[in-house]
Amino acid sequence: MSELAASTKTWSIRLPTAPPAADVSAATFLLDRPIKGLRVGLRHEGSWRSWMLIVDEWEHFLRRDGAEPVVLKAGGRVGEEGEQTRADVEAWAKDIDCGISGLGTCGSCTSNSVHDAVTLEQAGKPAIVAVCDEFAQHGRNMARFLGHSNLKALVLPYPLEALPEAELRRIALDYYPQFLKLLGATA
Amino acid sequence: MTAELTSPLIEIAADPVALYELSLEQGWGDGAPLLPPTDERVHQLLAATPLAADHVLGELPPRFGSATVELVAINAALAGVQPEAFPLVIAGLQGLLVPEWNAFGLTTTTSSVFPMLMVNGPSRDALHIDYRAGCLGGAAGRGSMTIGRAVSLCLRNIGGQRAGETSRTVFGQPARFGLCFGEWEERSPWPSLAERRGFSTAEEVVTVHGGKGTYPLADVNNDDPADLAYTIGKSLAFPLNNWYLELTGDSGQLVLLVNPMWAARLGTSYPKIESFQEALWESAWQPIELFRPGNQQVLRDKGRVDAQGRVRLAARPDQFVPVVCGGLGGLHGVALTSFVQSEMQSVAAAR
Repeated sequence: MSELAASTKTWSIRLPTAPPAADVSAATFLLDRPIKGLRVGLRHEGSWRSWMLIVDEWEHFLRRDGAEPVVLKAGGRVGEEGEQTRADVEAWAKDIDCGISGLGTCGSCTSNSVHDAVTLEQAGKPAIVAVCDEFAQHGRNMARFLGHSNLKALVLPYPLEALPEAELRRIALDYYPQFLKLLGATA
Repeated sequence: MTAELTSPLIEIAADPVALYELSLEQGWGDGAPLLPPTDERVHQLLAATPLAADHVLGELPPRFGSATVELVAINAALAGVQPEAFPLVIAGLQGLLVPEWNAFGLTTTTSSVFPMLMVNGPSRDALHIDYRAGCLGGAAGRGSMTIGRAVSLCLRNIGGQRAGETSRTVFGQPARFGLCFGEWEERSPWPSLAERRGFSTAEEVVTVHGGKGTYPLADVNNDDPADLAYTIGKSLAFPLNNWYLELTGDSGQLVLLVNPMWAARLGTSYPKIESFQEALWESAWQPIELFRPGNQQVLRDKGRVDAQGRVRLAARPDQFVPVVCGGLGGLHGVALTSFVQSEMQSVAAAR
C-alpha cells in the first residue's frame, strides 16, 4: 500500500522550485570623457522600423558630434545564422568603444538586446540596452538572470511602432542626450 | 540504495484540496490539481532513470534554475508521471536545453510558442502516449497528459517561466499546460520522424519542437496527391506566418501533422518523404503582390522576394517536417507552426 493510500493525517512533500540565483552584477563601465573621437556602436535586429529610424538619426548626431557610429544588424539566433550573429556581436563589441543594443519591445527581442549588451559589457565597454517602457522590467529581469543586474537601460516610450516618422525623429532627438549621459560621455 | 533528497520538505494536511490550494498560493502549480510529491513517489521516479538525483541536466531559462534530476522528478510527481515514463520527461528537457533550441528566447518571448513533444518508439502504447484519434487533446492518454505537463511544470518551477512576469507571452496557448503526442509510425508510408533524425526504431525518442500553435487544415476537394500537397503548401504560407517576419527563412521547422488517410494517399505519389517535402516547399510561397505596399517594401528590404516575385516561406524543403498521426476520419491536417528562431531537437530516452 502506498503512503498516499495509508491513513495518514499529513503528507510530507518536496517543494518543486529551484532556489533563486544569487543577485550578482558584473562590472559596468562609463566613458567619463567626450564622445568625440570614439567609435559608438548602434545595434538593431533589422525588424523594428521605429528603432532603425532612431538609429539612423543617431548616426547623424554622432557624426555631427565627432564620433564614428558603427551599426550592427544582428541576425538570427540559431543555426548557421546564429553562429554568424554571435561572431558578429563579439567582433562589434571588440571594435567599438561603447554602444547601445536594441530594441527591447517584445519578449525575445528584449532578451536578445540584453544578451548582446551584456556581450559588450563583458568586453569591458560602456554598454546600454534600449528598451521600451512596457519591457523595461523584463529587460531588468533578463540582465539580472545573466549576472549583469546593473546593466544600464535607456527606457523609451511604448509603443514606438506605427508612430509617424516625424514623431520618431523627435523621440530620437529628445533621447539622444540621455543616451550620451548613460554612456558617461562628458561635454 | 536510494538517494537522499535535498529539496525542502514541508508537511501539509493529507488532503488533495489542501495541496491544490497550496500550489496556487505559492505559485508552483499550473492552475489544475496536482498529486503530492512525496518521497516515496519521487524515489519511484528516480529509480526509473540511470541518472543520479543530483545530476544537473542544465540551467533552465529564463531564471537559469539548476535542473537537477531530483527537482525534475518532484515536478514529474506533481504532474502524475508514471515511473516508466520518467525517462521521456528527462529526454524532453535535454532536448530543449540544447542551445540551438533557444530556450532563453522561447521562454521569454511575446509569442505563444512552447515545447511540443513528439514521441517515437516501441513504448508509445505501454506509456499511453496518444497518436491516434484526438492525439493533440481529448484522447486523455496518461503518458501524453503527464509527460508534457511535467516539462511545463519544470519550466515554471525550475526555469521560473511565468506568463506576464518572466515570460512576455501575449496569448500563451493550450499547449502551455503541456503537449505530448506520438507518431503513428505503423501507418506512415515514410520512415518515422526519429529514424529520419538518425535513431533506430528500437529507441524511444522524444523530439522537441518550438511550436507556436495548432493551425488546422481541411480538404475534400483535392483527390490528386499532387494537388493536395500543393494546396497544403500554399496554405502553410499564410501572410502572417512568423517566418515572414524574419530576415531570412533559414532557420526553424514547421511540423505538418498528416492523418493516416492522407498519408497513404500522399505516399503513392511521394514514396520518399524528401519528395513530399520538396513539393510542400515548392508551393509554400505567396506572390509579393499579395502583401500590402508597406509590407511589400519590408519584404523587399529583407531580400525575401526572389526574381520571380515569390516570397518563399522557408529556405529549404527539410524545414517542413511531416509526422503521421491522428484519427482515421481523414480530411484534416494540422500545422504546428514555427517560432523560426529555434531548431528542433531529438533525444533518446535512457533507461
